[in-house]
Amino acid sequence: MKNNQSIWAMMLILSILITGCVKATAEPTQVPTSVPPVEEPTKVPTKVPTEVPTAIPTEAEPIKLGVIVSLGDISGINGQNGALLAQEEINAAGGILGRPLEVIVMDDEMTPEKGAAAVEKLVTVDNVDAFVINSFSGVHMAQIPTLKKYGTVTIVTGAASHLCEEAIGTDADWYFHLHSWDYMQGQGQKAGWLAITEKYPDLEFGSVFMAYEEGAFGTASFQFSQVLFEDMATLSGESFKSAAMGGGDYSAVLEHAKAENADSFTWVGYAADALPILEQAKAINYAPPFFVGAPPGWPPDFGDSPLSEGVIAYEVWADALTEVSDVSKDFYDSYVDLYGSGPDNYLAALVYSAVHILAEGMERAGTLEADALITALEETEYVAPTMEVITFSPSMIIKHQAPLTPMIAQYQGGELEVLYPWDRATSELIYPFPSWEGR
Amino acid sequence: MQLPGIFRQRKYQIAFALIVFVVLLVFWKPTVLIYGVQRAGLYASIAIPMALVLGVVGILNIAHGDFMMIGAYLAYWLSVLYGSDPLVAMIPVFVAMFVAGALTYKITIKHVLDAPEFSQLLLTFGLAMILEQLANLLWTSQPRKLHVDYASSSVTIGSLSFGVFEFTNVAIAILILIALMLFLKRTRMGQAALAAGQNPRGAKLVGINVEQAYLLLFSISIAIVSAIGGLFLARHSIFPLVGSSYTMRSFALIAMAGIGNLPGILFCSLGLGVAESFIMSFKGYSGWADIVFFALILLVIIIRSIRRY
Repeated sequence: MKNNQSIWAMMLILSILITGCVKATAEPTQVPTSVPPVEEPTKVPTKVPTEVPTAIPTEAEPIKLGVIVSLGDISGINGQNGALLAQEEINAAGGILGRPLEVIVMDDEMTPEKGAAAVEKLVTVDNVDAFVINSFSGVHMAQIPTLKKYGTVTIVTGAASHLCEEAIGTDADWYFHLHSWDYMQGQGQKAGWLAITEKYPDLEFGSVFMAYEEGAFGTASFQFSQVLFEDMATLSGESFKSAAMGGGDYSAVLEHAKAENADSFTWVGYAADALPILEQAKAINYAPPFFVGAPPGWPPDFGDSPLSEGVIAYEVWADALTEVSDVSKDFYDSYVDLYGSGPDNYLAALVYSAVHILAEGMERAGTLEADALITALEETEYVAPTMEVITFSPSMIIKHQAPLTPMIAQYQGGELEVLYPWDRATSELIYPFPSWEGR
Repeated sequence: MQLPGIFRQRKYQIAFALIVFVVLLVFWKPTVLIYGVQRAGLYASIAIPMALVLGVVGILNIAHGDFMMIGAYLAYWLSVLYGSDPLVAMIPVFVAMFVAGALTYKITIKHVLDAPEFSQLLLTFGLAMILEQLANLLWTSQPRKLHVDYASSSVTIGSLSFGVFEFTNVAIAILILIALMLFLKRTRMGQAALAAGQNPRGAKLVGINVEQAYLLLFSISIAIVSAIGGLFLARHSIFPLVGSSYTMRSFALIAMAGIGNLPGILFCSLGLGVAESFIMSFKGYSGWADIVFFALILLVIIIRSIRRY
């Protein structure tokens, strides 16, 4: 038999190494001390004027757009799909400034080094004229120094951490952020709940139990929520180990939530937690009046499960928007025509919008020269498939921020129905959360 | 006043203390025992096959949990494409992964049997990376979950409701243990494998095909842990990295029980499962449960070092 002591020592070293190798995809924990005021949602026109397509000269040099996504994640795949769909539409309509658009997609592999290397390569080898970046915050932090070095006009459709905002700073005129920062997301949710409790005066929302994944993302979300909701509800919470991080046992946190009997149960975790947490809630017969989930994304087949009925979600895109918006429907139909099924994730619509925004900006500027393009992008008023009118204005630090209004949606009959904002609502609230019997 | 004779022996003192603890838990925090036993079942069913390979073949398989992940994906696709129940899918997964395990042994493991332990660790670590990246390329990192009604079945006793599906983990763990013990003790091939594990050179001298014994045990280990993937799928979301944390937990259990002590893993799993559940039963202390594993590895290494010297 081999030497046991050396085996155990090596196991210990290896376990420490492997623990250190686990990818960190969550947001940092620093909480900003001031929060901008809540903004009212804006009215959204439902039609967009169409242009007559013109032929692109075959000898024209393409305008190159570097798109960086995480292809190892469903969000990245959807982002890529959105970018390529936009490319096809733009070229079918005659290109940009008489030139075809060429989208060059690179995978950041969800690692900071690869994300930064992708920026470097796209600038120095492919000579891209602009960027659309859809990387997670941890990866984007590594990209920022390289982006600053070159100052290429960039629209970022990911990276919610306010630490990225701090890293970019106040001088980056070329930087456009098309995604809410972490502190903005909670504001939108609070506005939604205030509106819902006003519309439905009989429902109770005085206490909230928040189960949050123990990493930076969940912890920061809980800290933000404590600040935001302190004047609205009593908030208590407990952490759990997300299935995405090797956990997946929610029995303890659900038992504590059941014992507290709060008006609303909210879990903040990842897509891997969505169905298991419901199954375990059912197993202990815990059905709170509100069952709210707040992961960055949901499993594509979540709605297929009967347990999803009545679950409330915070979303930016829902297929149901096609019922109330022609822009959403056009995007959805084009996406289905090209890929055979609808988008799984809001980033398809967001990256699609970013590519179109850049194209329109280039047309308005009449040139690819950075200063002119930046000025043109500042004039953006783009009607997105998410029913936002995208405009850029200063945030706490950066000059060009376009926040997204989080919708409050609910799974009903297998579909994600929008409850709020009212101009996007596709259904009424089901309250309270349905009992587990028969499900 | 002196204790009765029986309680002067340490083992009976420990047993008595344990019984008192269990009775206290039943009245104070009954869910600790319930969830602790359920967790123990899953940990033991994953760890026992790893202990088999480590104890007999002497190989540290860092890819152990990743084979479970592959088995879970196979069961998932059998369910999605052919409508198979994930528990039923365990059977074809067992057969397919037995073959895969044999191929893995032939191509990789057998070449490092006489190499230093670090080389073996690196090899199986590389295997783990390959399996994880392959799964990521084929199926992306998007978590997948099957909904099966029985996974959330529950029982209510008084005011206490708890899930019962996870007791199948316990049943499966006991079944695996009994089957392996019978195989190792009562079959010629099993006895030959045990002999090969104790003294490979001596086993060769008496005509035992050591190579074949190792191949069989490794393949059985991979087949069992992969089949467990189907059971895992019924209750958990799966994604390419889901298996690696269970590899670490299996290490901890083998460290506690001792190499080659298969029945000991069941009891150690129970101890760990209940300890975890006990810590998690206090609000705000869920994050401390992970520390239990690593603290126990350190404790066992330290205690064994002290005893040796």
